[in-house]
Amino acid sequence: MTVLASYLPLVPLLAGIATGLFGWRRSTALAAVVGSAGVTTGGVILGTIVVDRGAVIAAGGLVRVDALSAYLILIIGVASLISSAYAVGYIDTELRLGHTTPQGARLYGLLVQIFIACMLIAVSTDNIGVMWVAVEATTIATAFLVGHRRTRAAVEASWKYVVIASVGVSIAFLGIVLLYFASRHASVGAATLRWSQLLAMAGKLDPAVTRLAAGAVIIGFGTKAGLAPFHTWLPDAHSQAPAPVSALMSGVLLSVSFYVLARHKVVIDAVLGPAYMRNMLIAVGLLSLGVAASLLIAQRDYKRLLAYSSIEHMGLVAFGTAIGSPLAVAGALYHMLGHAIAKSVAFCASGEILFDSGTTRIADVRGLLKRRPALGTVFGLALLALLGIPPFSLFASEVAILRAAGAAHLELVMVLAAALLLVAFVSILQHGRQMLLGEPTGGHTDRRTPAIALTTLAIALGASAVLGVTLGPLDRLLTAASRVVAP
Amino acid sequence: MTDSALSQLLGLAIGTALVCAYVVLWRSRLISIVRAIAVQGAAVAVVALTLGLHEHSVEPVAAAVGVFALKAVIIPMLLARWIRQSEELREVDPLINIPASLLAGGLLTLFVYATARQVANLGSDSASRAVPAAIAIVMLGLLVMTIRRKAVTQVAGFLLLENGIALVAFLTTSGLPLLIELGGALDLLLVVLVLHVLAGRMVSAFGATDLNQLQELRD
Amino acid sequence: MTVPAAVGALIQVTLVIAVAPILTGLMRATRAKLEGRAGPSVVQPWRDIRKLLHKERIKPEYSGWVFLLAPRVLLASGLMVVVLVPLITTATALGGSGDLFAVVYLVLLGTVFLVLAGLDPGTAFGGMGASRAITVAALAEPAFLLAIFALSVRAGSSSLATIVDSVLAEPRSLASPGSLLALAAVSVVVLAESGRLPVDNPSTHLELTMIHESMVLEYAGPDLAVVELASQVRLTIFLGLIANLFAPWGIAVTTHPADLAIGTGVVVAKLALLGVVIATFEVFVAKMRLFRVPELLTAAFILAFLAITMSFFLT
Repeated sequence: MTVLASYLPLVPLLAGIATGLFGWRRSTALAAVVGSAGVTTGGVILGTIVVDRGAVIAAGGLVRVDALSAYLILIIGVASLISSAYAVGYIDTELRLGHTTPQGARLYGLLVQIFIACMLIAVSTDNIGVMWVAVEATTIATAFLVGHRRTRAAVEASWKYVVIASVGVSIAFLGIVLLYFASRHASVGAATLRWSQLLAMAGKLDPAVTRLAAGAVIIGFGTKAGLAPFHTWLPDAHSQAPAPVSALMSGVLLSVSFYVLARHKVVIDAVLGPAYMRNMLIAVGLLSLGVAASLLIAQRDYKRLLAYSSIEHMGLVAFGTAIGSPLAVAGALYHMLGHAIAKSVAFCASGEILFDSGTTRIADVRGLLKRRPALGTVFGLALLALLGIPPFSLFASEVAILRAAGAAHLELVMVLAAALLLVAFVSILQHGRQMLLGEPTGGHTDRRTPAIALTTLAIALGASAVLGVTLGPLDRLLTAASRVVAP
Repeated sequence: MTDSALSQLLGLAIGTALVCAYVVLWRSRLISIVRAIAVQGAAVAVVALTLGLHEHSVEPVAAAVGVFALKAVIIPMLLARWIRQSEELREVDPLINIPASLLAGGLLTLFVYATARQVANLGSDSASRAVPAAIAIVMLGLLVMTIRRKAVTQVAGFLLLENGIALVAFLTTSGLPLLIELGGALDLLLVVLVLHVLAGRMVSAFGATDLNQLQELRD
Repeated sequence: MTVPAAVGALIQVTLVIAVAPILTGLMRATRAKLEGRAGPSVVQPWRDIRKLLHKERIKPEYSGWVFLLAPRVLLASGLMVVVLVPLITTATALGGSGDLFAVVYLVLLGTVFLVLAGLDPGTAFGGMGASRAITVAALAEPAFLLAIFALSVRAGSSSLATIVDSVLAEPRSLASPGSLLALAAVSVVVLAESGRLPVDNPSTHLELTMIHESMVLEYAGPDLAVVELASQVRLTIFLGLIANLFAPWGIAVTTHPADLAIGTGVVVAKLALLGVVIATFEVFVAKMRLFRVPELLTAAFILAFLAITMSFFLT
């Protein structure tokens, strides 16, 4: 099993290299789908193993896959499966419409798979330094994906994204340096960047240095995770990237960055006690909810709408993690999975709407259900899933988080969070209603969404609904994963 | 190497690095800014080299060679070429004028000295005591990124930040494991290259790399 | 004040008065040589002064007593500084009174009178030059004080003789970042205060660019000679200060005649060297646009400021 844990990132990488060598074709696009399916399968296998036998450690301690890692691998696999299955038709259409060149499509295929590989490395390593390198590498891999269209807006978005994300991640590096420093002074020859070793020696780490490190880490990885007030790059980047990339960035990149933050939280909590990180995370969580809610109200662009919804959901995940009880953390992790599925579907559907209407303005899209019933249904259901309507899984996770907040005597914060969620709920519902219902207006292309794309999105929504009713075998993995963060 | 010689050499190198940060803040000619960045990169390498020789360990020395190659030679050369190609030679319209930004930088340095003592207090050796200067460089990098509006000066600010963090790493821990250093260096190089390409696209889309023009995306 | 110390002070004053015009002449000659001109002899400034002294005294119609007093104050304050600073020997006349702050304010006193003299006749150029000069002084003075403070921190005293002695006792302290930054700051300030490039061009009479020259435009005859000599003395003091604060080797620490002789020779050599260096530097730089001068002086201020922070934190 050590082989699987160590070499899983190679799977998407090989698919990417295939596209790099042979260009964007049906076969290489399908290779990417198969690769993503492979990653998902790998996640399932690793999940079953680590639940029974504990963490898999390989490559001299560099690789360590525990329940939390396996769970994240699963999320990455599922979201990239949705994204890559949708991308098959998406890139073909882009090529046909002249939005991109064969060269651009080739680069796209390569970079997306490198991006996925970097995320896999970030979640399956034990070394926080390697985590950092991998997170920084995702910025580089996605830079050109965000700027894929090369329009003025795309250039602006990618510039802001690279600059803000790189600065943020550099500050996270400062935090990692400080943790290394603390470990070096803990005892002779103890200098380490391995997460498991840092956790084991937490009692000996200097609290003052750790506190500084905690601040740097929250700023740094919080930036990549899209938490307010470091979120400013997110709406631009997510709205300008091609739909399958938005799906991946929103669905998993944010979660992976938050995963890295959560790993650090475990060590920092062991040194400083839970209060410090709890207060910080509750603050950024609530701020994210507030920013998202306020900017959702008068949103005019449906891709930005989805982007702000991501900030909202990441805020909720941060809030759940901050509470720190096993129920809350399980709720947060469960929320990550539900959000990854629903947001991937929503972004992919938004890509189709963009092809259909040629604009991202909400006001210019009317009567989607009447004109494009299948697409309209998928988009509408994805929005409902994002809103946390039962039976979709986000309902269950939101309830779990809010209940845990009540149990932890954070009633005031809970009420505040619930109120902000309600504002976001009403705004998204209102905007969604405008887009979906009513009479169609304006001239539109006669493009039909490929069956494979619609089927994938429908299956994903179905999975989300099933997950909302029962976790099934996933239950044990989720419990084990939440135990990593909330021991 | 004796302790006093070590602290003297460290002091000189870090002083140079700090002054270079101010030179970046002070000059408006882009090529002078790039030169300051190169000198600062060399100063960082000297710090690593000094610590390596002092502790008789190979890793910092190897890191020093790498830092010198990357931060004092490769990246500055890239930036210099970039400036020659882009025909943008000056930072014309900073957000606040140069004397004011210099004074702001001075205040920022004072603030860092006043607040960063907790890290410095953990070690009493000369290296640990120089940490506030390194953190000041990080803050100056952020300041440059905030007030300067050209693509090259943004990258310069980012490099200041990176150099400051590298200095903190060397001073507090004599450098991270070589694997991480290598990954970090590669990431840095790639970020600079990516920004270069994006700046090229910015020129073809907007006609210049003036960040004040990036106003299309907002709510 | 002991007798030998008085003798030392006297030698310093005599030496500076004798050497100052020659130093200016040397700088002009160097510059001419580098620009490929024949140029005047190094003693030309002395000849100019001698010529001016023999001329009739002329005073602008509407000028008052300030106009007549200013050259004398300028020269007197300069010579006062010469008594205070250790140029040839650290055991100078006023011993412990050779305080850096006293030096700075004596120099400033001279500047203020020069500015008043520029304003007094009520001409356009004089007023313009005065306003520019006082702007430069106002920006340079804080930087100068800070840089000096940085040096005092290291020696634990603001007495010039003590600072020089401490450097002699521990030459390695010169290579500290604090000292180097202070040197850089002092150099910029000195260039600004003595009206050299890139702040002011000493050899121009273009109304748009000049600072110092426009203030003294109305002087003629013996008054002009005094003003010229005083400016040359000031330049000599500044260069001598730089030389002895940052490279004090060779200065006499006693008042023994042999030491004094060596000290005299060494200081003349240092002055000549610095003069040549500055003249060479001036060949390669252009005068800065006036509104960029504040940037330069703020940079000097920041350098001095950093010098202090580093003296406190980095050692």
